Amino acid sequence: MSAREQLAATLACGAVLAAAPWLLSDFLLSLALSCLMYAALAVSWAMFCGPTHYLSLATSAFFGLGAYVTAWSLESLPYGVAVLAGGLIGVAFAALIGAAVLHLRGAYFAVITFGLGELTLHLITYTEKTYFHTAGRIISDAPDNAAIYWTVLVLTLGAVATAILVRASRLGLALRGIGADEERAQTLGVDTRRVKILAFALSAFFPGALGAAMAVRWTYIEPLSVFNPFIGFQTVLMAMLGGAHTLIGPIVSAVFFSLVSEFLRLRFPYVFLLLLGLLLIALILYLPGGLASLLRRRGRADA
Amino acid sequence: MPEALLAARAVTVRFGGLVAVDGVDLEARHGELVGLIGPNGAGKTTLFHALSGVLAPDAGRLLVAGEDLTGSAPHVFAAHGVARTFQMPRVFRDMSAEDNVRFALQFAGRTRRHAHDAFDDARTILGFLGLGAASAVAAGALTPARQRLLEIGMALGARPRVLLLDEIAAGLTPAELETCAQLIRRVRDELGVAVIWIEHAVRVLMSHVERVAVLHQGRKIADGDPRAVAKDAAVIEAYLGEEGVGSEGGRERRVA
Amino acid sequence: MGFWLELAASGLITGGIYAVVAIGLNLQYGLMRIMNISHGEFLMLGAYLTWLAHTTFGVNPFALMPAVAAALFLLGLVVYRFCFYRIARTAPSVEVIEARSLLVGFGLMFLVQNVVYLAWGADLRGYSYLAEPVEIAGARFMANRLAVFAFAVAASLLLLALLRWTMIGKAVRAMMQSPTGAQLVGIDTGVLHPLVFGGGLALAGVAGGLLSMVYEISPSMGEPYTITALIVITLGGLGSVGGSLIGGFILGLVEAFGMHFTSPSLKMVLSYGVLVAVLLARPRGLFSR
Repeated sequence: MSAREQLAATLACGAVLAAAPWLLSDFLLSLALSCLMYAALAVSWAMFCGPTHYLSLATSAFFGLGAYVTAWSLESLPYGVAVLAGGLIGVAFAALIGAAVLHLRGAYFAVITFGLGELTLHLITYTEKTYFHTAGRIISDAPDNAAIYWTVLVLTLGAVATAILVRASRLGLALRGIGADEERAQTLGVDTRRVKILAFALSAFFPGALGAAMAVRWTYIEPLSVFNPFIGFQTVLMAMLGGAHTLIGPIVSAVFFSLVSEFLRLRFPYVFLLLLGLLLIALILYLPGGLASLLRRRGRADA
Repeated sequence: MPEALLAARAVTVRFGGLVAVDGVDLEARHGELVGLIGPNGAGKTTLFHALSGVLAPDAGRLLVAGEDLTGSAPHVFAAHGVARTFQMPRVFRDMSAEDNVRFALQFAGRTRRHAHDAFDDARTILGFLGLGAASAVAAGALTPARQRLLEIGMALGARPRVLLLDEIAAGLTPAELETCAQLIRRVRDELGVAVIWIEHAVRVLMSHVERVAVLHQGRKIADGDPRAVAKDAAVIEAYLGEEGVGSEGGRERRVA
Repeated sequence: MGFWLELAASGLITGGIYAVVAIGLNLQYGLMRIMNISHGEFLMLGAYLTWLAHTTFGVNPFALMPAVAAALFLLGLVVYRFCFYRIARTAPSVEVIEARSLLVGFGLMFLVQNVVYLAWGADLRGYSYLAEPVEIAGARFMANRLAVFAFAVAASLLLLALLRWTMIGKAVRAMMQSPTGAQLVGIDTGVLHPLVFGGGLALAGVAGGLLSMVYEISPSMGEPYTITALIVITLGGLGSVGGSLIGGFILGLVEAFGMHFTSPSLKMVLSYGVLVAVLLARPRGLFSR
């Protein structure tokens, strides 16, 4: 599919999904919401980390910062503006840490992005306790569920569309070159430092905005719940299990794992996570290219 | 005399205590084909790393068309028209041969549009190199010799005015070596670029270049007309125990 | 004077445990590029084994340490054979080994943690052992913490000595410095890798057993120690065992003094602050050249 066709398909899916608030029960709508959220997180993670092979664990930091933008500003700003501001905070934070740490690679990068996220979490906890004498914040007059759903839907479509455009652009090509051989890409004229910071910052808009959009679902916000590293881990797992170098892989696996986890987690918490662990190990060992590689293998067998 | 397109002035590169390149001066002018030879470990490739910005020199200056680029990142050198190949081919293995060349055209080549018209799209470049039939093949699936050719294609995609070639003919038969040398001369003639060419097949190299510089233990020990350099006492001394200056090109041993 | 000694000692005591936790992970990473994020879960297993054996049979917990180490070592051989062996064999590059082992580590984390939840529930468990104060140079310590500290330091030094003077230790160090070179002189990775992986888990198990003598234990106790181990490894340098030992002490001291001068709620800010500062200033570790 060409980029144009992919964009058209995304738009068509969006139009169908937009009808959900009129059709689905509250339970199913919240299920759809969590699918959309993880799809957007996984797609935006894979946007940068897929082609470059960087392993960023900063997603929860962007998400948490976005959520705190809402927590701090919802009384004075309209919901839509807070969401936008959350995204921009994500971008700014990513640009800042990107400039400082994108020269590190492999496990170092994973560890420092995780560390920076935790540092932010604990700094916010400390600031809130010391200067505002509060452990968390209550969100009053949250928008209704349909408004939240549409906002998250728009963000998800935006993330997918951005990913499509990046893949088709020189930026995407440069990222692939960086992933394959960064120094070679440099000698062929790519300003790799700028490209990496730009793409990392761009990809952070969505987790930031999603944090701001989803914050109102909590009614009570505290740093530990919105900076939860599990959100970041789950995003990475979904993207990599789906196939981070593909567009559709992270979406499919995000939807699949969100549904599975929503249905099973509450009923059989321990058994579910135990099985998830086993599944994860099996997938990495026997299907390292992600679910997308399975599709491609079948496609080749058919042809 | 025209201004040098690429000039290294007293360039020094150190690795810890080891001085790999020691105060080397080297120039290449418009349309000039310069050979760079020396025994293994003489610092040839390290000098190329410095000339292309991959390694910042510890001392000395690098001028491209008169502009001082010392300490700049590789992409700045590329943007100023310095393109290179790597001894061990570093093509993007998962991309097709055509996309590899297109990559260069899209980045380094893009800022230098209209630098020259002869090689302006990936297919023409691949065709010129005799890789036309392999354009859709993943670069990693090509033979090492063809990957070296593709390296030249990528360098040409950067629309260079200075071309640095690092052992592109390694492992070729004498006949192929001759074809390769003709290819390089054609590139030089048609594009008017300055070429600096490292090759272990010294005899073939000497018969094609107008000038040759010799490195030994990081220092430049000779620079001038190939026939004069071949008779230079210091050069013969440096090569003693190594391969002889006049030995048969295709059968020379190579240590990676 | 007594107060400062107490503060420094409490930092060193915590640091000693940190070192044991970190050395195991560091050996695995340094040798095989396996970033085993489930390290803390095996520490937790060690703690549960010690607790179980001590409360059921009344065995002295220190006497249990060799048994715990042996059990975790065997478990390590099994885990290596079924998970990491295949990754090391099939991954095309070191970067890919790191990424895949990280993900498999997450899988193991879910697996081990929830097996323990199913077996013993989420309650805090514990027992009292040597919980009486001792006075040294005007400073008061709990006897169990002192004993645990001594054991941790002894174990770390023993390991350093093993690495320095035994054939296997020399092979491990050679492998870390130059994998290809070591293989050329005939070091067999097929033996060395599972051995070191098992050794890493044995150290984690011992650290867990030591912790169970001082603190209460729970199935989720492991994660923070994985993080701490990562911080210590970063401080001391990936692959450097001696660095991990010193890094552990430094982190313990920074936490102890930092919390005293600022506030206990800043403990995590301090740890991560140290991590980030070191990664930014000296990404190859404090003691790298």
